[in-house]
Formats: sequence, structure tokens, C-alpha cells
Amino acid sequence: MTSDRPDPVILSALGLIVVIGLMAVFSASQAVEGDPVFLKQLAWAAVGVFFLVLGTRLSLRWIEEFAYPFYGLALLLLLVTDFAGSGPAGRWLALGPIRFQASEVAKVAILAAASRAFADLSSRPRRFGVFFVYAGIIPAIVLTWLQPDLGTAGATILMLLFMTWWAGYGPGWIFLLVSPVFAALSSISLIYWLAFTAMIVLLLLRRKAPAMLWVVVLTVNTLVAAFTPVVWGLLRPYQQARLTTFLDPAADPHGAGWNVIQSEVAIGSGGLWGQGFLHGSQKGLAFLPARHTDFVFSVWAEEMGFAGSLLLLAAFGVLILRLVWIASRCENSFTSLIASGCAAYFAMHLAVNVGMTLGIMPVTGIPLVLVSYGGSHMVTAMFVVGLGLNAGMNWRVI
Amino acid sequence: MAGFFIIYVLIIAGLAARLFHLQILRGDYFREISAQNHIRIVMNPAPRGLIRDRNGEVLVDNVPSFRISIVPSEFSTVDLPLVAGLSGLAPDSLSSLIEIASSRPYRPFPIRTGLSVEEVSAIAENLYRLGGVVIDVVPQRRYICGPEFCHVIGYVGLATSEESYEGQVSGRSGLELSLDQRLSGEPGYRREVVDALGKVVEEYEGGGEVSPRPGEDITLTIDLGLQRLATEVLALEGVPGAAVVIDYSSGEILCLASSPVFDMGRIASGVAGAEWDSICSDPQRPLLSRAWAARYPPGSVFKPVTALYLLQSGSIDGSYRPDPCFGSYHLGGRDFGCWTVHGRLDVVGALAQSCDVFFYRTIQLGSLDGLAAFARGFGLGSRLMGGILPGECRGLVPSSALLDSLYGDGGWGLGNLLNVSIGQGELLVTPLQMACIAGVIASGGAMPSPMLVKDSDISEPPWADLDLPVEAVALVTEGMREAVAGDHGTLRSLGELPWEFFGKSGTAESSAGDHAWVIGFVREPRPLAIAVVVEHGGHGGAVAAPIVSRILQGYLGGGG
Repeated sequence: MTSDRPDPVILSALGLIVVIGLMAVFSASQAVEGDPVFLKQLAWAAVGVFFLVLGTRLSLRWIEEFAYPFYGLALLLLLVTDFAGSGPAGRWLALGPIRFQASEVAKVAILAAASRAFADLSSRPRRFGVFFVYAGIIPAIVLTWLQPDLGTAGATILMLLFMTWWAGYGPGWIFLLVSPVFAALSSISLIYWLAFTAMIVLLLLRRKAPAMLWVVVLTVNTLVAAFTPVVWGLLRPYQQARLTTFLDPAADPHGAGWNVIQSEVAIGSGGLWGQGFLHGSQKGLAFLPARHTDFVFSVWAEEMGFAGSLLLLAAFGVLILRLVWIASRCENSFTSLIASGCAAYFAMHLAVNVGMTLGIMPVTGIPLVLVSYGGSHMVTAMFVVGLGLNAGMNWRVI
Repeated sequence: MAGFFIIYVLIIAGLAARLFHLQILRGDYFREISAQNHIRIVMNPAPRGLIRDRNGEVLVDNVPSFRISIVPSEFSTVDLPLVAGLSGLAPDSLSSLIEIASSRPYRPFPIRTGLSVEEVSAIAENLYRLGGVVIDVVPQRRYICGPEFCHVIGYVGLATSEESYEGQVSGRSGLELSLDQRLSGEPGYRREVVDALGKVVEEYEGGGEVSPRPGEDITLTIDLGLQRLATEVLALEGVPGAAVVIDYSSGEILCLASSPVFDMGRIASGVAGAEWDSICSDPQRPLLSRAWAARYPPGSVFKPVTALYLLQSGSIDGSYRPDPCFGSYHLGGRDFGCWTVHGRLDVVGALAQSCDVFFYRTIQLGSLDGLAAFARGFGLGSRLMGGILPGECRGLVPSSALLDSLYGDGGWGLGNLLNVSIGQGELLVTPLQMACIAGVIASGGAMPSPMLVKDSDISEPPWADLDLPVEAVALVTEGMREAVAGDHGTLRSLGELPWEFFGKSGTAESSAGDHAWVIGFVREPRPLAIAVVVEHGGHGGAVAAPIVSRILQGYLGGGG
């Protein structure tokens, strides 16, 4: 199948998701007095459609050409936000009357820059090239984390890992890339550390890694493992507590932990068919401050039940798998990476956000893209879908 | 590509499986909770950290006590008279408590704390028919030490900040306030499923309870015995005062006593309004931490600083003898009096006999701003403890800029400089600052920053850059030795001490009666610096010196 028209399967799934999102936001907004949440979301969806079209019309070659300057601009925006951001958590950047989250712009920039970098590597392989790609991208992720936006940073890293995999680096490489995180965790006990180091050594042996790689990987991991307890020990107990609360907000019983319980009760009470649209009765949900944003899935699942939730998951599933399919059909490695990155972008947001409302993922402030109330991510997500569609429309031409 | 399909399908299938678990397998359970029951969270306060003295003696700990709380959304006003009767509250005060609690209707709000088993049993027996009433055991602060620590340690009270949970206790004064973050720990909580009538149905199946993390223990540098002794000796005077003792080799504060005191244990457990009012309206102001939060003119105990300034700047040396003291000094048609006729003295003699005229004459070789900058180098005019002592005063060191702003440009003159040189005029200090000055002189400038909590971070002391000449320190030390050991010294009464005491007395003029001061130090048997002030006590040598004597003898042995 070759077509110049946007893929109808993706468009249908997208339409379904956006309609479900508007319904859920409408229902959740019943409790928000004074603020025309639903009308604003409707307006944002309209703006989103514009960006969807924009995403399909832009030349991907042009995007490939300007991926790095675009990424630099995003870094700058993140820096400005870190120092001069406004809004509840200081994540917002005001540009005249328009306020937006720089971390959303950064996601697109990372998608483009990583695609460009991996595409370049596939045509001109370099030793340790993948490490250079990560060294270039990690500043943006760290700045996102500092926003503070732990959820977005995590989802972005996961997206990047999937793109690495797509670029042809196997799970072994990916394990090596994330090994410092495991090294820090393994420092809890000697046994963990021995097991972890043994795994690393086996992996390096199996890959017949060059001496340079041995040195780099083992040095970095040993240093990280050795210094984690030292740094931790230097902190006072209350500082440690602050850090654990930062990494795991659910530990705060009146904050995030409370939200998750109410969310679980709300979702569970939905049963098979739900309580009926606009009839969600979970009193506790009325206390969720984020019911129209981060916990919007709970509202939908309570009112529409297992059936309605599956419908939404299925729509996302079709969107994601279709993007993977498009990526596999692209002959140009850049467009292929773009499409697979789009798929990973939606999959990771879905997993992190819905997983959180279901109580199986840590509580991090991350919206369910295309569904939650909010303009920045609606526009970004629509644009990302547009890029994916664009990749699907161009495989024949290139 | 197949791998990607599989992974993404697995992610979505995993979410669907969890949905199936929550909505289909346990849907009935959650639907029931949602329809009739709800979950409430009961906070388990963390025990606050213990506070010990330098020898490990526990000064403050926690004891378990019973607490009755009410969840307004579950509580029926029909039960109000019964609950009021059983909990020993007047119905009016209970209903006003519930009024306050209703702003957060889903959280348990403590109505009585610190109860014994007997006091709580009446409610416990009726719990089966009272909805929205919670009884639990919480740690309660216990002040084992006596009121001698009321200012240093302070007391706790109900937290008032927006983020605090109902019944949260936080520090209100002293170290309880300044170290609240370290002492308070992290509260735990448990979840209970409550039915529509506010009765506990079961523990929540979905998640366990989180235990509280106790606060950090803190060890003070204060010595319990010395603190108690100093407080008792001060109390004998019957007028307010303060005593500070510092180990000048380590900077550790061994005693930080203020008088009069109050019973912080009673305040922490919630005193009746009348008792609180009587503490607040006491003319002797027991809540004031005189050792660091009150400022006094130092009077003659400031003279060692003036002497060091003149010696260091080279204005005088050890052999310099200005014109004699005839009992007063004339300047601009005014008489600046001395307390007796001293004759011709060198700096050692002027310090030992506390001659004002010597300093009136010699200070004219220096300048006000030079003296002010030098005095600031000793930490005067600044807080020494980095915020660890709430309400710590800076004191005041007058400079020409300050006098200009007070009296208008040029509205002041040489007379102001003469007054400051003998510790009068606009100069104001705290007892803690004066004890540090004694320690700085004793150590030749090597004393570390004063420290109140063991293992705290050590910063550079203000006097690190002072760079005192050895000869100057030796002369001033000799003057302080002569004050005690010399034939005409102002502190001859301290000559009876079994160790050599280096001291300086002061009688600081004040409109409501002179403040009696002594500062000084001993090298043996331990390197201790001391400052004592008695508010409106009169003559330093007569009133403050016996206090110094009793504190040092009582602490170091040797009778008394």
C-alpha cells in the first residue's frame, strides 16, 4: 500500500482517542466550578488539528536538516524555564499571552535529533557512536527532570531506549547504556553488586567488546556503585527523606499516595460496564485535584467500566502498532526512526500515566497525552502523530 | 520489528490485565467501598528526636500517650453531649473544636491528647456506638530536664502551617524550633475502611501501613549539671540575669543559662489560659532568653576590647602612661567621671583598676570607626550561632554613619567616642557575645566558632581574621590577672578561687539601675571562658563576681 494520503487507520484511532478524551474531560470538569475547562480543551483540540496537519505537511528532509539547531533551541528554552519558569511547579514559560511547557517542545526536539543522529550512525558507523548520541541528549533530559518533571524525563528516556533498539542496537547495548542506574541501585548490598558486575562482565565477554569499552563501562559503573553510598551517607536523615519523597511522591500519604488509592477505588468501582457517563459516584474522586489532568483515565474507567477502558487502550494500541508498521516500511532510516519514535512516545506515555492511575507505576506528574486536559501536550502529541503520518506518506517518494 | 510488536502488545496487555484485576475480579469490593464506604487515613506521628546533654544524659524524650480524635464528616452531632461527657470536655468547647475541624472534614482532628489509660477507657468502651471517633497512641514530648533548659531547648506546640496535618506537633521556641526539621522525623499512616456511619470496618486491603520514621537525636554541648547550677545561682539573686560558659579550646558552649525560667513542660502540654497569661505578663519576662536574645550595654567589660584596639593599632604600648586620673575628665564643658581617683596608670593598671579616664585620654589617639570595625571583628554586632538560637540578638556597634543617622550629620562629637570606649553610649551586646570575647582573649584569637549542638558544621568564627598581636594579648591578659590578683584590682574577691582567674568587672549604667557584669576565664583545670550579667544588679565586682565564683567552684570542684 502506497499512498500520499494520511493513513486512515491512524486517523480513525486518533479521532476515537480525542473524542474519548473530550468526553472524559467534560465529565471531570463538572466539578470544576468557574473554569471553562471543557471549552478550553475543545479549543486546544482545534489548535491540535492545525498542528496535526502541520506535522503531515512539513518536509521531513527539512526536519532532518534542522534537527540539531531545533534541539539547541529546545535546550535553551529548558534552561530559561529552569531559571525563570512560572506556574504551579515552575514548568511553564510565558511568551506574551501564550504559556507553554518547554519540556513538551524538548520531546519533539529529542525525537528529531535522536532520529537524525541514529540515521547518521547507520550510514557512517562510528565507534561508541551510541554513547555520543546519549551524551548529547542527556542534558535535555536532566533539564526536564529539574523542571521538576520526573515523569516526562522518564518517558523521554524510555522513548530514547526504544529508538536505540530500533536503530539496530540490541538489548545488550541498551543494558550497557542504562547500567549506571543499576550500578547505583546495586550498591545496596555486596551480593547485588557482585551479581550486577558478573552480568556486565558476561555481557562484555559475549560481545567480544574491545578493550576500550571494557575500561569505560567497568570504570563508570564501579565509580557510580562506590560513590552512591558515600554520597547517600553524607546526607542527613531529613535530606534523605526529602530525596526519597522527590523520587517517590507516593510516600506522602496526603499527597500522591492518597490520589492513587482514590484512583484505584474509582477504577475498580467501574466494573464491567461502568457507572455510566457523567454518573461516576466515587466521592473520593472529588478530592482528586488532578482528576481532569493526570488522573483523567480514572474518570473514564469509573464511568465507562472495563469495556470503555479497553476501547481506549485498543485505540492507543492500534495507533502505536500502526506507527511501528509504518516505521518498518520506511526505506529512509531517518523517517523510519521518526515513526518508531512516535510509536514509543505514545506507548511510554500510556504506560507511565495509565500505570500510575492503576497503581502499578510510580506517581509522577505526567498527563495521558491526547486525553488529559492541557494545551501543551495536546499540541505536541498531535504534531507527533502528524510526523508519524508524514513518515507513512513519504516512503514512496524517497 | 516483531520484537517491537510483542513488547508494545505486552505493555498494553499488562495494563489491561491490571484493569481486569481491579474492575472485574475485585470490582464488587471497590464498588462497595465506593458506594457505602470510604477510606480514611490516620496519621501516626513520629517520635521527635531525643535531646541529650554532653554527657549523654537524656534531657527530652517521648512517652506514649492516648489521643482522641474526631473525623467531622463521620461524626454525628447527636453524639456530641455523650462524647463531651466521656472525654471530659465542655460541650461548648467540643463543638467549637469540631467547628475548626470541619475545614478538613475527612481528616481525624485531635480533641484531647496526653491521656492515660484510665482517662481514655470511658470513650473506648463506647466506641462501638460512636461513629467518627478515633483513639490511638501517639508519642508525647516529655521534658525530663527541669526549667533550666526552657530557653535553650524551648518547647513544642501544635503546628500551624498550612501543610501540617491535624495534631501535628512542631517546635515553638529554642532548639525545638530551630532544629525542628531534624527533630521531627516523618509521620507514618495507616488506612482504614470506614462505613457510612463512620465506624471502622476493616483495614484497607490494598496497601499496608507506613511506620513513622523517628526524628534525629541531638546531643548538646551543654553540661546538665553546670546549666542547673548556674540557673540556681542566678535565681538566688531574685533579679533577672544570664550566665554563659564556653570551653574556649573547642568553642563548645557548656552553659547558656537565663533567669528567671518557666516550666516548658506545662506549656507543651497546653497550659490553661490564665497560667499562660501570668507567664506572659510577668514583669521579669521569663520567656526572654537573656543569654542571647537580650542586649545590654557592656560597661567596663568592654575595656579589654578597647585596650586591644589601642595596642594593635600602635596608639599605645605597654609602657605608655597618659596624664593621671584625677577622678574625672573635662571635655567640651562636660565632666566625664571616673569611679575613683586613680592617678597615673599604664594599660595593665587601667584594666585591673578599671580606670575610665585612662581610656578617655587614650581613645582620642584612635577613631570611632576604627574601634567599631575592631569590635565587629570580635563578633559584636552580629549573630554568632547561625540561626540555631531563635531570636538571637545582633547587638549594636555604633559607627559614625549610625551616629549621623541618630543625631544628624555632625550632631555628635568626641564625647560619644569616650562613652563607647568604656562600653557605654550606644554600644549593646549579648552575654553570649561577651563570653566569646573572654574566650577569644584567653585563646589569643584561636577559639573556634561557638557550638551548641555536637557534630554540627563548623564555620569560620568572625574573629578568624582578627590577627591579634601576641604582646597585646599578653598585656590585656595581665591586666585581667591583676584585676583579680592585684592589690587594687576590682575583682579581688575572686582571688579566693583555687585557680588563677583572669577577669574584668563591669557596672554598666542604665536608667533603671546599673547592670552588673563579670567576664573572664580560667586556664586550669579546664580552659573555660565565662560571662555573667545581672540585670539592674548594681556593682559588677560586688554582685556578679560571687555568682562567677559559685558557678566555677561548683562546676570545677574546690568547694563552694
